[in-house]
Amino acid sequence: MASAVDRGRLTPAGYAALGIGALIMLAPIIWTLLLSLKNNAELVGHSEAALHGPYTLENYAAILGNSLTMRWLLNSAIVSLGQTAGVLILASLAGYGFSRLDFPFRRTLFVIVLLGLAVPSQAVILPQHQLFAWLHLHNSYPGLILPGLVAPFGVFFMTTYMRAIPKELDEAALLDGASRWRIFWKVILPLTIPAQSTLAVFTFLGAWNDYWWPLISATRSDMYTLTVGLAASQMNYAQTSGLGFLMAQAIFASIPILIVYIVFQKQIVRAMAGTAIR
Amino acid sequence: MRRALLAFIVALALGSCGQNDGKTHIYLQRFFGECGAEYGGSTDVAKAEGECGIITTLVNRFNAENPDLHVDVNVVAWPGYPQLAAQMAARDPPDLVTMHAGVISDYAADGLLEPVEPYLKRAGISPSEFTDATRLGVTIGNRVYALPWDTHGGLFHVNTALFEKAGLMRNGKPVLPTSAEEFLQQARRFKQMTGKPYLIQSNVGDPAYAARNQYTYMMAQGAVLFPDPKQIRLDTPVGRQVAAFFRRINEEQLGTLNMDTPAAIAAFVSGEGGIYPTGTWMIGSFEKEAATPGRPLYQHYAVFPYPRLWGTRVEYVSGHAWVVPARKRTAKQQDAIARFFRFMADHNFDWARTGHLPAFRRLLADPRFAALPHRADIAPLAEMGRPLPGYVRRQNAIEGIVGEEMAAGFIGQRPIDVALKQAEKRTNTLLGELN
Repeated sequence: MASAVDRGRLTPAGYAALGIGALIMLAPIIWTLLLSLKNNAELVGHSEAALHGPYTLENYAAILGNSLTMRWLLNSAIVSLGQTAGVLILASLAGYGFSRLDFPFRRTLFVIVLLGLAVPSQAVILPQHQLFAWLHLHNSYPGLILPGLVAPFGVFFMTTYMRAIPKELDEAALLDGASRWRIFWKVILPLTIPAQSTLAVFTFLGAWNDYWWPLISATRSDMYTLTVGLAASQMNYAQTSGLGFLMAQAIFASIPILIVYIVFQKQIVRAMAGTAIR
Repeated sequence: MRRALLAFIVALALGSCGQNDGKTHIYLQRFFGECGAEYGGSTDVAKAEGECGIITTLVNRFNAENPDLHVDVNVVAWPGYPQLAAQMAARDPPDLVTMHAGVISDYAADGLLEPVEPYLKRAGISPSEFTDATRLGVTIGNRVYALPWDTHGGLFHVNTALFEKAGLMRNGKPVLPTSAEEFLQQARRFKQMTGKPYLIQSNVGDPAYAARNQYTYMMAQGAVLFPDPKQIRLDTPVGRQVAAFFRRINEEQLGTLNMDTPAAIAAFVSGEGGIYPTGTWMIGSFEKEAATPGRPLYQHYAVFPYPRLWGTRVEYVSGHAWVVPARKRTAKQQDAIARFFRFMADHNFDWARTGHLPAFRRLLADPRFAALPHRADIAPLAEMGRPLPGYVRRQNAIEGIVGEEMAAGFIGQRPIDVALKQAEKRTNTLLGELN
């Protein structure tokens, strides 16, 4: 309702400003799309050729003609969905524990979890890689999924969200004889759906776009994720002699993300605006 | 929900399925891109084009000719070293890997590569068959650590239409300078006659460009760049002379400024300058431009190694090679590697069609090679090319440091002596940290 009112108040100048802003933001995407529809040889030294025809789908055909592309797409989907599901489960359980249960060293443990936010992944990449080698988990789905389940942000996010839910709900359920698990499952969890959606979207996007860990853990091409597979497909000097193909890869890789954005745009916008935590 | 979960578990299980076809498998890891859509089933090497097409077809052909073997190919994102290091750390390296000659020392020093003399011997290949540039590139101490596959380095790509306009053509060939002073004279004349810069330069985001220039013209004057494995020496009278020369080109605005590689390529193919010093790998693209009517380079393209400006005709080069990471292998796998070496040596001409120079001396005199466009002109690079000494580690990182500092010196962002000192200091710090 509020947004409808705001929209009604927008002046023509406001619309013009919004239109210009949108155009500026869309310009690189349109440029990328146009480049992706051009023959590579035509673009060597003449990227302005993207502004006029003839256009071709040969770069997309080359991507889809690679027998492994669909496998990489599947791998990315499995890894991203696996990580998203895992993070939601673990972060919800941990968030519930930290926000509503009283147990020894709760605050200390929470601080330790939060410290995880300050540790860059690069700082632990070597021991992490050695650990996974020792466990023989490289070139496997668990090897790609498990590191992403360490999600201090998710725990923090869910803890904060659950803290805002009145404790009277738990007390009423306890009086009705519900167990802790039942309270979590039937009472609290349904109330956290908005936060779950937001966390799911961010986790999925992060997992889908991840490059560094899949690059060094999935070293066999049949286990590549889409980001690594597409990078491996590029010829040397792709930015000069394979520009159309490079741009087609960028468009192709972003399509699933675009779909996720379209489906979950309400949650994403709310999360960006910081309104998911109430 | 349950079905989805079941499908997920099945997918996980399928992900770890192996193969057992009775063949001996060796595992090859390479860059050069993926082009299975175009060449996935092709074994006709003669019809393949480009690095990716030729290497893909060669491996297909090898598999077809050796029914008892199978080369499993893993294509990695260029340059593939993060993955290789990870594989080695996990003790699961491939059997064959494409590697730049300048990187071999890093892996060999840590015992991560096998010396390949036994494979070469079994394949009937003698290191004396290699060109000087490639032999030096794969030899560390007295051991050979790779089958060399090519030489690549900088070339002077020339727009002969503009050279003609500047009156710098003789008998249909561009006249390249033979001294630093002549270079400057030609460049001034070129600019006066054409109104365009003599030199197209990629000084932005392309440290290899400046490093190649500095290394090449210091080497040509007999400079010892690395007197020992832990020290680089650039801040010398020769080093200052070379840097001052490139600085002068920019001071007199005889070269382009503020261009990265794509911009420099665009400038060259658009006819915006006389010479573009860049690598062997661009010959194919520029040749296409030269064969396309209406383009500025149409029938007006020539290419040569760096001209001699001081001292002797020497040029800094690198190359691609096949290395064998250290790991346990069966006798059959070792035999497969030797057979692969033999096959690749026999097909080195096919690879030379990419624009890179052959690794085998015999091919330089091969009429098939000479018949390829411009190859007769660039062939001297295979013999005059010199890699950095095999005992120098971190050559890629050093090239980045030297290139960054020298580019700053060349374009006047930093005084030349400061740039040289900084390049030395940063490189020596890096080398000093190595075991």
